[in-house]
Amino acid sequence: MATKKPEQFDRVDWSELSESRRFDLSINSIGMLVATLPLALLWLYDYQFVGEREATFQAIGLSRNLDPLDYFFVFTLFLFFFYLILPLYQNPRMTRYYWKEFRRNRPAVVSLGWLGIVFVGGLIGPLLISAPEQSILTGHQPPVFLSIDEANVANCVGEVVNGRCQGTWQHPLGTTRGGKDVFAGIVYGMTISMQIAFITTTIVAAIGITFGTVSAYAGGWVDEVMMRFVDIILSFPTFLMFLLILYIYGAGLGMFILVFSAFAWGGTARYVRSKSLSVSEEEFIKATRISGASTYRVVRKHVVPNVASSIITQLTLLIPGFLLAEAQLAFLGIGDSAVPSWGQLISAGRSDLAFAPWIVLSPGIVLFLTILAFNFIGDALLDALNPEAEAESA
Amino acid sequence: MGFGKYVGARVLWAVVVSLIITTITFLLLAAAPNPAIREAATQAALQGGDPSAAVERERELRGLNQPLYVRYMDFIRSIYTLDWGWSESRSQPVTEALLQALYYTAQYSIPWTVLTITLGPLVGVYSAANMYSWRDHVATGFAFFGYAIPNFFFGIILLLIFGVWFEVVPISYDTSAPVFSLQNVRQLILPVFVLVTGSIGATMRVSRNESAEFQNSDFMKTAKAKGVSPLRAYAYHVMRPTMVPLSTTLVGQLLALFIGSSLLVEVVFGIPGLGRLTFNALISQDTNLVLGSTLVFTFIAVVGNLLEDLVFTVLDPRINYDDR
Amino acid sequence: MSTRQPLLEVEDLTTTFSTDNGELTAVDGVDFSVDEGETVCIVGESGSGKTVATESVTRIVKEPPGRVRGSVRFKSRDLLEMSEPELREIRGYEIAHIFQNPQEAMNHCYTVGWQIVEALQIHRDVSDEEARAKAIDLMDKVGIANASSRFDDYPHEFSGGQKQRVMIAMALVGDPDLLIADEPTTALDVTVQAQILRLLDDLQEEFDMGILFVTHDLGVVAEIADRIVVMYAGKVMERGDVLDIFERPAHPYTQQLLNCLPEIGGKKGGIPGTLPDPLDPPDGCRFAPRCEHAVDACVTGDQPEEIEVNPGQRASCVHYRPGRDDSVVRDGIPDSTADGEEVSSADD
Repeated sequence: MATKKPEQFDRVDWSELSESRRFDLSINSIGMLVATLPLALLWLYDYQFVGEREATFQAIGLSRNLDPLDYFFVFTLFLFFFYLILPLYQNPRMTRYYWKEFRRNRPAVVSLGWLGIVFVGGLIGPLLISAPEQSILTGHQPPVFLSIDEANVANCVGEVVNGRCQGTWQHPLGTTRGGKDVFAGIVYGMTISMQIAFITTTIVAAIGITFGTVSAYAGGWVDEVMMRFVDIILSFPTFLMFLLILYIYGAGLGMFILVFSAFAWGGTARYVRSKSLSVSEEEFIKATRISGASTYRVVRKHVVPNVASSIITQLTLLIPGFLLAEAQLAFLGIGDSAVPSWGQLISAGRSDLAFAPWIVLSPGIVLFLTILAFNFIGDALLDALNPEAEAESA
Repeated sequence: MGFGKYVGARVLWAVVVSLIITTITFLLLAAAPNPAIREAATQAALQGGDPSAAVERERELRGLNQPLYVRYMDFIRSIYTLDWGWSESRSQPVTEALLQALYYTAQYSIPWTVLTITLGPLVGVYSAANMYSWRDHVATGFAFFGYAIPNFFFGIILLLIFGVWFEVVPISYDTSAPVFSLQNVRQLILPVFVLVTGSIGATMRVSRNESAEFQNSDFMKTAKAKGVSPLRAYAYHVMRPTMVPLSTTLVGQLLALFIGSSLLVEVVFGIPGLGRLTFNALISQDTNLVLGSTLVFTFIAVVGNLLEDLVFTVLDPRINYDDR
Repeated sequence: MSTRQPLLEVEDLTTTFSTDNGELTAVDGVDFSVDEGETVCIVGESGSGKTVATESVTRIVKEPPGRVRGSVRFKSRDLLEMSEPELREIRGYEIAHIFQNPQEAMNHCYTVGWQIVEALQIHRDVSDEEARAKAIDLMDKVGIANASSRFDDYPHEFSGGQKQRVMIAMALVGDPDLLIADEPTTALDVTVQAQILRLLDDLQEEFDMGILFVTHDLGVVAEIADRIVVMYAGKVMERGDVLDIFERPAHPYTQQLLNCLPEIGGKKGGIPGTLPDPLDPPDGCRFAPRCEHAVDACVTGDQPEEIEVNPGQRASCVHYRPGRDDSVVRDGIPDSTADGEEVSSADD
């Protein structure tokens, strides 16, 4: 039979217990501070000195403007790098183990590759490709290698063969009715999707972990009230609430992210609470407690590392829901129409579906693949965390 | 604490939750500028009248000049007396509009729910019984496809293929079709299929993973040693315990999908159900109708969660009422 | 004892499992038999294949990946030749099982009553009332107080010992001729163990069944067994009457096992070394790598043939081959006579 794997390979390092100073900063935190400082300064500069309608980098000749969402996005990227990527590099042994487990699941590896493309595309794409622009004259251009009846296009960019307009590399995935390049639209949509993914998970993790641990350590009626509150949060019809807020106040992407993450942390909080309760019962935590560690330290050094892998899995499985909700709202045309998301593209192409299906299909398939990828990875992480499931395969 | 007391406590809690949610809804709406008042002001200004006087008149007409708590009490009372006001966009009472919409929503929701609840666990357990065979891989692939493909996108594509190209299903929804007719089946088959594809995946995965544990359990060996046939063993000894963890996730998932996707699916397929009603109410700024449909969805969510809790306690004999 | 008719005769039983790392042979050409009304104990360390051997009898091992070969004659019918539906008529009706962990062996979703009558309702056409009456009668017999009111209780409402009693009632519901008990007392504490053993002893008489009892606990063997089969790494090392084996263990492995019994005052800490890899068993005697008497002849060829060392007692050890001096192993018996008597008195 299969050899039993250690149940929690992400268990904290025992040597950490010997550290007793309270305010020693790890290299990760120093890196985080060093990276965040310029960002904060830039934000301050943007906020104080740059005019309302001016782009942030106008002074050096760039037209790219940064809004608060962008700042927050970059901040979450820093978090992601210093507390997820860097630790993987710092613990090569653990990373190798993770990778070995993860690699067994081939769809998940492919998914990781796809998400890598979406991530890099979303980060760098907008810098390389200019934003899709309206140009009615070149509407309904077909994707490269495909063609469309000449009658459907005002002005064919490529050649016209036998009365059919041929696609060109100028618009590899064709254009919308308004002449917006679909490929550029998809790349810009990647940025939006990544922003949603990173920011919501950061907010959900922050609220969920804090709420869960506080509830677990407070105990008594505080715990009871907090958990009832989680019950309410969990039974909230989020999508509907958002529609309502949208209806009353109107809402952009920022509001969307805020509302959806504000109602999504219930599960995480519940999980963290039960985990902290069981972790704090364990011997090594008791030992740390007796040696005088503060509650904060116990949480930071023991509870969080112990639940980290499960939380990452949970969050991975939450992201598809957010992406889907955004696409749905955009499709309904009640999202922020200025946000060039995939859902927006799909809704833009819906009326032309019969003769120009690429406008719907391209972003739809990209959205489908991205959601699929998150699900595959979440599933693979679940398997990697659960040695039992894999023992059965032997 | 006995079972009856436990049920009582859960029901009470459900009432509290729905009260809290409706209160929040009320506060949100109370804090928002009312479009009808803005409209009155604009009208007055256009006709050379005094906008602020018109606003006052309008507020008085709608009872908005009363203190918040009075309006709140009125609001709560009207919820329980089912006096949900007049829908301006549809020129009929809100409750009537909701009931009409519910009629169409039920026509696809009931088959959808029934199919998900029956097929999901069956395919899941079957998949677990044949774990890592090609059948399992096909089922798993279908499950992942189902919950990764956005419902509205899938709906559009299917409508394009079967409605526009092959012309086997009607493109537009005909409200005059009798409920039990071939015509109705044809026009509802795609929305039901799209919704089932979306919801069955999660059910299948949960029942597959949970039943995997039970089919290798000692009690399955006991059953086999008793001479129980494999079919009976799966039906009784695997399916039954699988329903316990499944019941904790099933309702939640169905509800999330119901509230989110029913709207989209109704828009895509042109079904005049609850989702479309809510959507149109939002577009036409019909506050009473928005509030009414919010209440209906909230009520469905709360009742669903309550059912889930109760089903769980009925299914798991080990549950201790004192613990919860 | 052995004047009775043979009930179960197992010959050359071999059970293999296909795994990712190749074919694993859990039981390798094992013979044993159980007579009517007799208790046979299969003894060995965990992992010696004794559980798989008993589960192969009615083929309740998982197939695939498992595969059972050989012959299992039960009342002169070969169980291994039977189809699944035919076997199902035997299981629970003529041959019943009880397992090691009563906690896990019962389905937590059904009442104990439901689980007891399940076998009855599959095998025989009985009404609900009859089945219920029979189950309550059995629960009473296995010593569950207030049986009629406990019929509708769920397993989690019973203690460990009571659960095992319920399991026994479940096994007896079809009036079996053979009861296969796989370490039924291991998960229980010592006082409950003794009660369950006594119960099995009483029930054996009342129901006139043969019992095939699997255990690693020689103390239990002494209390219940008529005959013993000692297994190690899928092979039979030694067999014989319980008195003979306790008094004059012939095989070095049996001697070592007895040595570990606390009452005999043997060395602590068990037998040094570990079981061989079932995917790649050693040549010659399976026990040779851990045996203190191993010689060159022990590590070549197959497991040695069984040789009669005393009347009715056979051991699979090269030292008993004709022309060899068996005193090396015969003398290795520790304090046999004195403690053997004590043990034999415990076994009536």
